[in-house]
Amino acid sequence: MNMKLGRAGIHWRKYIFGLCLVVAGTILGHLVQTFFDPTNIIMIYLLCVTVSAVFWGLGPSVFVAVAGVLTFDFFFVPPHHTLAVDDTQYLFTFIALLVVGVIISYLTSRTRRQTEEAIRKEKETSALYTLGHDLAIASSLDSYIKAITRRVRETFGYDVIVFLPDEKNTRNIRPYTDTPDISIDNTDFTEALSTLRRFSENKQDINLQQHSKSQYLPLVTARGIIGIMTLKNPGSPIELTSEQEQLLKAYIDLAAVAIEGIILADQARYAQVIQETEKLQNALLNAISHDLKTPLVSVIGVLSSLQEEGMHLDENAKENLIQVAREEADKLNHLISNLLDESRIEAGAIKITKQPVEIQDLVGSALEQLGARAKRHRFKIEIPPELPFVYVDVGLIVQALVNVIDNALKYSPQDTPIEIKAQTVDEQLQIEIIDMGVGIPPQDIDRIFDKFYRIQRPDNVSGTGMGLSISKGIIEAHGGYIEANNHPGGGTVIRISLSSDKTPFNERKFTE
Amino acid sequence: MSDNKILIVDDEGAIRRFLRVTLKAHDYTVFEAASGKEAISSTADNKPDVIILDLGLPDVDGVEVTRMIREWSQIPIIILSIRGSESDKIAALDAGADDYLTKPFGVGELLARVRASLRRINVAANEPVFTSNDLVVDLAQRRVTINDNDIQLTPNEYELLRVLVNHAGKVITHNHLLREVWGPEYGNEFHMLHVNISNLRHKIEPEPARPKFIITEPGVGYRLKAD
Repeated sequence: MNMKLGRAGIHWRKYIFGLCLVVAGTILGHLVQTFFDPTNIIMIYLLCVTVSAVFWGLGPSVFVAVAGVLTFDFFFVPPHHTLAVDDTQYLFTFIALLVVGVIISYLTSRTRRQTEEAIRKEKETSALYTLGHDLAIASSLDSYIKAITRRVRETFGYDVIVFLPDEKNTRNIRPYTDTPDISIDNTDFTEALSTLRRFSENKQDINLQQHSKSQYLPLVTARGIIGIMTLKNPGSPIELTSEQEQLLKAYIDLAAVAIEGIILADQARYAQVIQETEKLQNALLNAISHDLKTPLVSVIGVLSSLQEEGMHLDENAKENLIQVAREEADKLNHLISNLLDESRIEAGAIKITKQPVEIQDLVGSALEQLGARAKRHRFKIEIPPELPFVYVDVGLIVQALVNVIDNALKYSPQDTPIEIKAQTVDEQLQIEIIDMGVGIPPQDIDRIFDKFYRIQRPDNVSGTGMGLSISKGIIEAHGGYIEANNHPGGGTVIRISLSSDKTPFNERKFTE
Repeated sequence: MSDNKILIVDDEGAIRRFLRVTLKAHDYTVFEAASGKEAISSTADNKPDVIILDLGLPDVDGVEVTRMIREWSQIPIIILSIRGSESDKIAALDAGADDYLTKPFGVGELLARVRASLRRINVAANEPVFTSNDLVVDLAQRRVTINDNDIQLTPNEYELLRVLVNHAGKVITHNHLLREVWGPEYGNEFHMLHVNISNLRHKIEPEPARPKFIITEPGVGYRLKAD
């Protein structure tokens, strides 16, 4: 968008046109002379004056008025072909013609100036609006400043650099520009810095330096100076008309406020993120600390009971207490394993050593690890013996199964069986663990494998909720799938899919 | 007090204490060592019948200690491992350890492993019969019965069972089983081993899907349960 804001110079051409118009009018007058009175012929000249006032301005229209009067006098007022006037009423006509000419040309030129002014203002507003729009959709400090520098460069035709104080060290300044190959030298830095310092010390008006190839303009908001906008012209000194200066100042004000705004918004957002992260970390540590200490309460409690009160307790009571302590200690063991796995997954340090192994053995091992709790519960196991092997890391997959079965144990009532089924489906080995517990709310089905997710149940279900997410991590690290669904008829089915071991017969070996 | 001497090697005082108290309560004579160096010198000086060796020693790796002891002694070694270092377990077994216990473990497992390790020494040549519940394996007569009913086994299946019986109560790696039954060049034929174990289970286990004699140690090998 380029605005031509130069002043109109003296255009001789307009006077020539005016003269031609007078000549044309005179010829026309001659032609109609026989039909009209001279008073009507003057209308032709009036028309000429009006036309030249509208199109060519005050000067030419006055010239046309004078030329018209003289021509009219010469050709159409008796005595013809002289400038003398017989009838003094024509003097009045002449004056009237002149005055009308002047008035009309003054009015039209004023209208034209007003129109030009309105167009200019409209362009200015439009430019500011476009800049405002660009800023509204820019989302980062960089794109903000790029929008500003681009607009200023396109409007005024000079290269633009914005200098802002460095976030880390506010005594240094950083340049921003959207002209990639612009040259920024030491003078620019020192000038910008000194302007920055000058304006920090006392508020001044922004003035452009005369005859300079670079202008260093402070970006000032209510809080003070926030940066410097530099205009550079490699060739000749920067020159701006007063309208341009005004527009530039408007741009600078807008830019200063916008830049300040985004810097503040960024700072606020960053502070909020820090706060949220801290809150989350605290919540997590609290949950883990609680879960680690809770089993110890029973273990230490029982042991101290046996130690101090042993003589008061009968065999049954002792048996009972010891059972509790044993199970709680197993739980603690399981939790610690999970925490370690979680850390390893997070750190990307999970090492998978694959071996061919039977699903049967994996499930058996998992149940073994779950100890007394699994022994107390009824399991229905349907694993056909002729299933192909899976090629997996035994320790990890067993842990994954332990977490899933543990989940089933937690949420299914004591007297209902937990089913464990395995089968091949499309060359994949599929394991299903089905419990008859409360099931999962439909909106949560995808979320139960999220870290720390727990179904909102008010009762004493312990655990920070990371077991299933660890299982998912392990199974996916093996290239398998795990998903959960509600079982028709109540309860939950968790389905694990692993690829079966396809290594050829002779190449099956152990990796160490 | 029995004649059996056990050397406990662990740098954790609390674990040594637990092991010492438990083993002494079962009439074993107990020696202790807190490092690899101490373990080797104690083995040489005291000539234990079983060594319980923790893998995480401060000076020398447990696997290395196993290797060093094996250079001059066949004393049974039971290693203590933690979950998650399966490869260490296998490395130790390959270096010559006889069995392992995964920490944390219970007293029952501990005593079973110790007994199994001692069995090899204490079982004299004229006790070729292995009994466990209804299963009776008479190695002299090459006869296997369940509840006095004869079980027909193929030569390979019988060999497999024989090796298991000779190591009763202890874990045997897949590799070791294959080498002993079929020969060194079959060390990696895991599938073949599995098929034979599976067939054997079908013949001697009341519930082949939930074996109580031939136990799988996933990722490691098999163990014939002895008591």
